[in-house]
Amino acid sequence: MIEVGPIALAAAWVFAIYAIVMSLVGGWQRQRDFIASAENAALGVWGLTLVAVVALLHALVTHDFNVEYVAHYSSSTLPLQYIVAALWGGQAGSLLFWLCILTSMSAVVHLQNRDKNRDMMPYVTATLMVVALFFLSMLLFVTPPFQRLAITPFEGKDLNPLLQNYWMTIHPPSLYLGYVGCAIPFAFAMAALVTGRLDDVWIRTTRRWSLLAWFFLSLGNLFGAKWAYLVLGWGGYWAWDPVENAAFLPWLTMTAYLHSVMIQEKKNMLRVWNMVLVILSFLLTIFGTFLTRSGVISSVHSFTQSGLGPFFIYFLVFMMVISVGLLLWRLPMLRSEQPLESMLSREAAFLINNLVLVGIAFAVFWGTIFPVISEAVRGIKITVGPPFFNRVNAPLGLILLFLMGVGPLIAWRRSSWNNFRRNFLIPGSLGLIGGIVMLFAGMGNYYAVLSFSFCIFVMMTIITEFWRGVRARQSMLSENVGVALLNLISKNRRRYGGYIIHVGIVMIFLAITGTSAFKVEKQVTVKPGESFEAGRYTLRYDSTEAWEDPHVAHLAANIAVLDGGKQIDVLKPEKRFYKKPEQPTTEVAIRSTFGTDLYLVLGAYDDATKMATIQAYINPLIGFLGWGGIVLALGTLVTILPTRAPAPAPAYSPERGTRTAE
Amino acid sequence: MFARLFVISAVVTALAGAVMAAPPSFQEVEESLTCQCGCGLTVHSCNHLQCPSAIPLREEIREHINGGESKDDLLAAFANKYGEKILSAPTAEGFNLLAWTTPFVLLGIGGMFLAWTLRRWRARSSIEPPPVVTTADTSEHRAQLERELRDFDS
Repeated sequence: MIEVGPIALAAAWVFAIYAIVMSLVGGWQRQRDFIASAENAALGVWGLTLVAVVALLHALVTHDFNVEYVAHYSSSTLPLQYIVAALWGGQAGSLLFWLCILTSMSAVVHLQNRDKNRDMMPYVTATLMVVALFFLSMLLFVTPPFQRLAITPFEGKDLNPLLQNYWMTIHPPSLYLGYVGCAIPFAFAMAALVTGRLDDVWIRTTRRWSLLAWFFLSLGNLFGAKWAYLVLGWGGYWAWDPVENAAFLPWLTMTAYLHSVMIQEKKNMLRVWNMVLVILSFLLTIFGTFLTRSGVISSVHSFTQSGLGPFFIYFLVFMMVISVGLLLWRLPMLRSEQPLESMLSREAAFLINNLVLVGIAFAVFWGTIFPVISEAVRGIKITVGPPFFNRVNAPLGLILLFLMGVGPLIAWRRSSWNNFRRNFLIPGSLGLIGGIVMLFAGMGNYYAVLSFSFCIFVMMTIITEFWRGVRARQSMLSENVGVALLNLISKNRRRYGGYIIHVGIVMIFLAITGTSAFKVEKQVTVKPGESFEAGRYTLRYDSTEAWEDPHVAHLAANIAVLDGGKQIDVLKPEKRFYKKPEQPTTEVAIRSTFGTDLYLVLGAYDDATKMATIQAYINPLIGFLGWGGIVLALGTLVTILPTRAPAPAPAYSPERGTRTAE
Repeated sequence: MFARLFVISAVVTALAGAVMAAPPSFQEVEESLTCQCGCGLTVHSCNHLQCPSAIPLREEIREHINGGESKDDLLAAFANKYGEKILSAPTAEGFNLLAWTTPFVLLGIGGMFLAWTLRRWRARSSIEPPPVVTTADTSEHRAQLERELRDFDS
């Protein structure tokens, strides 16, 4: 079976070149046969990639340790789910997995567009196949996944224990789906530039792809945060690690794009800017893969390092030159002459939102690459860590949060100051009152006060929007509240789905603020029977227990949790000692109550004295991170699902001067 | 109201001054230094079992704090001994100032460009179209208006 893998990859490489040549020639000379042949070749690349993936999975599952990749990233005792996860646990496998997602998405795009967008499709095919060709070349010539060993080892070295976690089985696939999803709007953007079809057809065609990419980028980031929280055992979930930053960057630019693209759809404005954002997002996904895979910047995520770096840089520069060149070529055609009707309009608010999002993206990018710049210019390597990112991004994040509340208060096209003031009054006042109450209650962290106040403000604007819509439906159509709410959302999924996403983002802000400003940390070394305080809890270290399974040895501390003198729980933080490779890891114990976590880590244990070092963290509001993620996912699903043709319904609120329902 | 604000700000300033004069906390220094074991975390966050970098660094921090050093002196001593890479954020001087200022400078330039662009776009519509006068606000017209607005806003 394994012999099929390299043959399939080599055949896919030839097919990809064929698809590129035939689609470009076919597109240029308008040869339908050439184009159809190129599309079939693209489908062939997909099929062949699947064969290669199945071959590698087969080798992993059957423990074929003669294959270097299998010997390096799995073992005979590795549980099945992690054997599957080993597919993306190493360098070559993850590139193959990336390619598999890309060619699968490419196949869907080709099947979707059999009868439409025919003038653009050759260039879509060519763009996607150029990306596929790059990854195929890496897999064939730089980091082959099917390399054989001269001597077959009895046992594999196993998957890095840090990756043997449920969240690591879903974090990389989500992130890769997000990364690769950005390639689809990019391919259509390139096709639009080449063909000169610069209206909003390419945008409408890729709307769901863009949302899907953003959805998976969001999930990928959140799953990664969850993994870090559970596995790394330092009480946090985001360390501004270069690879975390790399995953965050395209999320920021795609978020900006999803807002600005609405302006193009409605007013045919921002055509250049939207192209820039799509190109930037795609290049950032390649940059992200480069950072993860090259290990160029020291990072806890750089599990694998190889000589891939320069090739990624060449590819990045190549794609940048092509895309920016095409953009400059079409610049005169892209300029729009549409007027802005008012400075106080949602268009203007969205543009400010775009500025802040791209500003944050630049700050994160700049901080990530600054150590390399410093080393190149001064010959001195420096560290740009969490204090930098927190200090630079906190004010920008707060501005963004505030704008999230302002946006819904302003109508498209134009809004009057009177209307704005009237709409702003209740949410703004409640946010302000909330802030004042927090200050008088003794909350000394001003960033936290601002953040919580803005959260109240944004939530109130969203609630007001829903309330106005429901009221309008109730008065016009005599629907009850539940029916009116459901109809309101289903009749305009994009708008209200967007608001639901905003609710999710507010919840994530709550979690970030709570854990940043009010985290409680304690580290103690105690002997059995000794107690210590952590926040409102008393923690008593009772004993340890040890057990072993074929793959890993466990050592757990039994910690009794007391609240007000009464025992309410027993937590068992663990140290795990993996047998292959011999490496200790941390298994934290968590007690969640109303979104606040008591998080315990067994730091060290002395068998002679039975003394244990326990780290205890109280992470307020951290539950909102996960709940916010669920709400965000629900909102995206609402937005992404097709909208039924709306029935004419009263939807205009004269007193507000803008639509409130529908 | 202003008097109260003035008193509050004076108190806050005084407290801030007092805090600045106080010796740094252990955690504050730990968070200002990067663990050198390769984990990429701060000394405070690194929880590697018997970490060869974080554990001796913590001891060293304790010694410096017990010696009564200010935070700046303490961090300068660590940077001299281990190199700048031990600091978890760039210093705000010399070339490193670029790290701190560039995002905000570019954001400022972007903001000015945006303001200029918006003003230019706004100028295009300075000649307002004449208001549409309807002689009959029939329900049919209203329904059509609502349909169009819905289509526009969806």
